[in-house]
Amino acid sequence: MECEDALPTIKILLIGSSGVGKSALLQRYCDDKFDPEASAATIGIDFQVRKMTIGGKPYRVNLFDTAGQERFRTLSTSFYRGSHGVLLVYDISNRATFLAMERWFLEVETNTTEDIALHLVGTKLDKAAQGREVSTEEGCALAKKHGALFSEVSSLTRENVRKPFADVINQIMQTPALAASIHGGRPPGTVTLGGDGGGGSWGCAC
Amino acid sequence: MESLGDTLWDVVIYGTGLQQSLLALSLSRSGKKILHLDPNDYYGGPDAALSLQETEAWVEHISHPANPATGVFRSSSITKPDGATGLSFPRAYSLALAPQVIHARSTLLSQLVSSRAYRQVEFLAVGSFFVFNPPSTPDEKPSLARIPSTREDVFSEPTISMKAKRGLIKFLKFVLDYEGESQRDVWTPHADGQLTDFLQKQFNLDAQLQAYVVALTLSLDGKISTKDGLAIIYRHLTSMGLFGPGFAAVYPKWGGLSEIAQVACRAGAVGGAVYMLGTSIQKLETRESEIELHLSSGDVVKTQLLVRNDEITDDGSGVSRMVAVVRSTLKELFEPLVEGAPLPAVAVVAFPRGLVGDDGTPTNPVYLFAHSSDTGECPVGQCVLYLTTLRTSDSKKFLNKALNCFLESINEGQKPQSLYQLYYEQARGAVESRAEGLIHNLPDASLSLSFDDSTLEPMKAVWEKMLSDAPAEAEYMVFPDRDVGQDEEELYD
Repeated sequence: MECEDALPTIKILLIGSSGVGKSALLQRYCDDKFDPEASAATIGIDFQVRKMTIGGKPYRVNLFDTAGQERFRTLSTSFYRGSHGVLLVYDISNRATFLAMERWFLEVETNTTEDIALHLVGTKLDKAAQGREVSTEEGCALAKKHGALFSEVSSLTRENVRKPFADVINQIMQTPALAASIHGGRPPGTVTLGGDGGGGSWGCAC
Repeated sequence: MESLGDTLWDVVIYGTGLQQSLLALSLSRSGKKILHLDPNDYYGGPDAALSLQETEAWVEHISHPANPATGVFRSSSITKPDGATGLSFPRAYSLALAPQVIHARSTLLSQLVSSRAYRQVEFLAVGSFFVFNPPSTPDEKPSLARIPSTREDVFSEPTISMKAKRGLIKFLKFVLDYEGESQRDVWTPHADGQLTDFLQKQFNLDAQLQAYVVALTLSLDGKISTKDGLAIIYRHLTSMGLFGPGFAAVYPKWGGLSEIAQVACRAGAVGGAVYMLGTSIQKLETRESEIELHLSSGDVVKTQLLVRNDEITDDGSGVSRMVAVVRSTLKELFEPLVEGAPLPAVAVVAFPRGLVGDDGTPTNPVYLFAHSSDTGECPVGQCVLYLTTLRTSDSKKFLNKALNCFLESINEGQKPQSLYQLYYEQARGAVESRAEGLIHNLPDASLSLSFDDSTLEPMKAVWEKMLSDAPAEAEYMVFPDRDVGQDEEELYD
């Protein structure tokens, strides 16, 4: 555990309206599972951990879901702290979730640094033939407007599922300010609770 | 998705201050159905940390005549001194409304560790405590005297006489065993008397050393009792070195308790709690075994218990606070205390009782917390100063004076410039927890400057009441990690 915590850690968030399939995307990506019944709001998981080798070096990637706090838009500023990349997720078969993206981009801009790696993701690509309500061009244009990369994915069919994660990690590694802010263990200058102590104590005064 | 009205909630918690947020965390992770509301559109209630923009809105809100003064804050105003330049953009700041330092030996920290919430909070070291020394002649500058923090420090301190050093060391050794039988006999007869008298009578400490000891207690009136004073000094001394060399207390980065409240709410959400901000309770109807709440969102929800703060009755007691942004790194305040110690991000300056008044007017102590930019509360090259004193008709004047005296004492080329000042008063509000049927009223936020563990007790009591039928192994605030991982590696090149 100790040495795992010491691995350089990348923090990536998945945000977007309720029901767009953030958790499904995460589960397909991390466990290669898809559960059509699991449509209930996400509870119970703080974040998913994925170990990766990037450019020959080991990394730990922490993927944070919204834990239901997207429902009434109550994600806290502390949730965004220290994040290196954000996947902004909408459902291509639900136009309202796409229209909500402007507000999500705004929230990201207010709570993170300008260098942060952004990726706009349209989910449920398997519904493209019958139920598409947002065209690929619209998605692409919105991503471009906010300096984000773009993909459309299907967690059901696995199509493109790895792409948004690979792209955002790649972008993080290529952005010097972000790459430099990746560190292992506790952030520099901070204190570890339960540290070994010692030194400078009154306790050993006699 | 289920509508809010379809659920019979176990508990609706109103307000996202530290207390309510810890309660939400403990109950939701113990399987209770929690709806957590806050009338404000930000987290933290009285413990919030605000950007300059949010601060402006906050001042406007609490001073607006249409808003009845039901909360703890009043009399707020923002001043930007003439000619001050260098204030950055509003979001570069995060001003804590009621900052507290947290001693290493605090139940709060052990609860954060056992509930695994601590991993999302970055803790910084609180370094030196100083006592303000007024100039002895009008031509001199005032100065800050660092309170020696280790035994070696005491001995190498040139301003303390050898005899006084022996008295101080004797006192400190006494405190480390103050609950021992022979020591109890010494202090219990003086338990309710003033600590300063006890220090003088029993250890022959002079006014300077008395001021040092009282400063460490952060006592708001400076008249702390022997009993309370010894407990606080004991906590301070035994906290020193606990999490690393050279510091006794920590401060959560980015705005103090506000950060812990947010992390606790996130943990509550992970446990299944539902969050709504900017949502007030407009009407409340008590039925036999449930309460019906009409929310400003239009939702009508039912709950078995409502936890909230009572509307406060303001008897004039409380504190006055000033937050000032200054253009200086105040480097001399943030030196590590011993070799290998983390660089402190917080320093404490005490203006002892009587020092700030005009010519001999007795005044309450003023405490100043200096936060460096490492706290994330201001941009690099600036510091945030938090001044607190007991609320009186003159307290605003005294805070201004203390701020000015402090800036004059800084040994830089020129006096550091104050760029922004926020003044407000915080009423004491309710001190006791109060249950009335299906409503539980929590006490209002503590005014203490260091986190007071007793403020955690009301939440534990509510948790125990709600979990009374739970299996015995359910333990308060002990929860496993909720991260999921696998060993499979993935390659990117």
